[in-house]
Amino acid sequence: MKIEKGVISSSQLTFMIIGFLQASNLLLVFSSRIVNHDSWLAILVGLVISIPIALSYAALAKEFSGKTLIQISDIIYGAYLGKMISVSYILIFLLTFSIDLRLFSDFLITYIMPETPIWAILTLLTFLSAWAVRGGIEVIARCSFIIIAMASIIILSTFVFLLSDMEFSNFLPVFDLPLKDFIQGTHINVSLYYLEIIIFLMIMAFVNKTEQVRGSMLWGLILGGVSLLILEVRNVAVLGIVSNILTSPSFNAVRYISVAEVFTRLEMFVVIMLITTVFLKVSIMYYATVLGLAQTLHLRSYLPLVTPIGIITISLCIISGDSSMELLHGGMYIWPVFILPIQLFPVLSLFIVKLRKKSKKLGANEE
Amino acid sequence: MKMIILLAMVFLIILIIEAPKLIVNKYWKELIVFLSLLSLAFILTVLVILGVDIPSPLEGIEYLIDDILDLSWERK
Repeated sequence: MKIEKGVISSSQLTFMIIGFLQASNLLLVFSSRIVNHDSWLAILVGLVISIPIALSYAALAKEFSGKTLIQISDIIYGAYLGKMISVSYILIFLLTFSIDLRLFSDFLITYIMPETPIWAILTLLTFLSAWAVRGGIEVIARCSFIIIAMASIIILSTFVFLLSDMEFSNFLPVFDLPLKDFIQGTHINVSLYYLEIIIFLMIMAFVNKTEQVRGSMLWGLILGGVSLLILEVRNVAVLGIVSNILTSPSFNAVRYISVAEVFTRLEMFVVIMLITTVFLKVSIMYYATVLGLAQTLHLRSYLPLVTPIGIITISLCIISGDSSMELLHGGMYIWPVFILPIQLFPVLSLFIVKLRKKSKKLGANEE
Repeated sequence: MKMIILLAMVFLIILIIEAPKLIVNKYWKELIVFLSLLSLAFILTVLVILGVDIPSPLEGIEYLIDDILDLSWERK
């Protein structure tokens, strides 16, 4: 029996990936602290590096069409090893989910609602996401278009409004940093935003036309990466060296907008964009976690797991660190190293599958 | 104490909303998983409310990457 009856189209998958990457606006500061004003270069190089890996994810999804990551690892690695791998995937999804939620609520508390206790924001956002997750994948996929249309309009219009404030000499001198720092910044970019789309291996199974997954993955990644690039260029061009020490450079850059002294203080649009895209990202992660757990335990429905997992996530968010600086530190030095092997694991799976197929073919030919 | 009673009421409401559907449909396995996850969530939230210092999972990861494997990027 199928656990999820919903079907999404390949363009909806593209929109979801774009929204997923646009939500990383919040995390841009992780790499720009290391590579300073060259972070646009790190974003670009990271995009180029992550494209082949994302394509191998798509190839894996095509090889096992209609199967999610959990079922794929069950098939490839057998019952026991596959279960272990599935459980580690689910734990990683849960952790990423809670850290993203925590970073976002930290942002809201720092900039907008300093008096609000953190659990109030966490509970509201989780409740909203839980509602979306209970509706199934189709609900999340349908709201993705509205969300990314709004976010893209906000990104482009703030870029245009800020053109008069930009100073492109902020980018000079280009590549004035040690190579090691640049590699670290690119590594952070790759594993913190781009390869997070490993989570879409849980969702690609529900796309109606499997042969289009590859193209929608590629377009989603490129368009999402380009919107991150626009954001980073805007931040550095407007703020210069200051953008490396702020918690949210986007928020501070958009404060500069003043069109004929009528359109001023537009930074709330950044918050609107963040709330909507983070809602999308968190819902996707929430969905992947719950669905993965239900499939690992061979349950018939994932709905009863939604509420308990949400409550566990809220507690995890609160205990995961005392301040956002702690999370920032972890995100800069430790988390990318920890998560990269897990993100590269599907590539290994694909390699094993191809090798098996080839050896089977060879064996058939010899007989 | 007041907080814990309130929390228990919230969990009771969740239980009343979710559990009957599972029992009517005879989803016993789902019911077991649901109840165990819900009790885990209850224990976690009570510990958070009481202010018990629960070690963060990120600290464990930091210990693994930094102290055991020595792989983390060099601090500046």
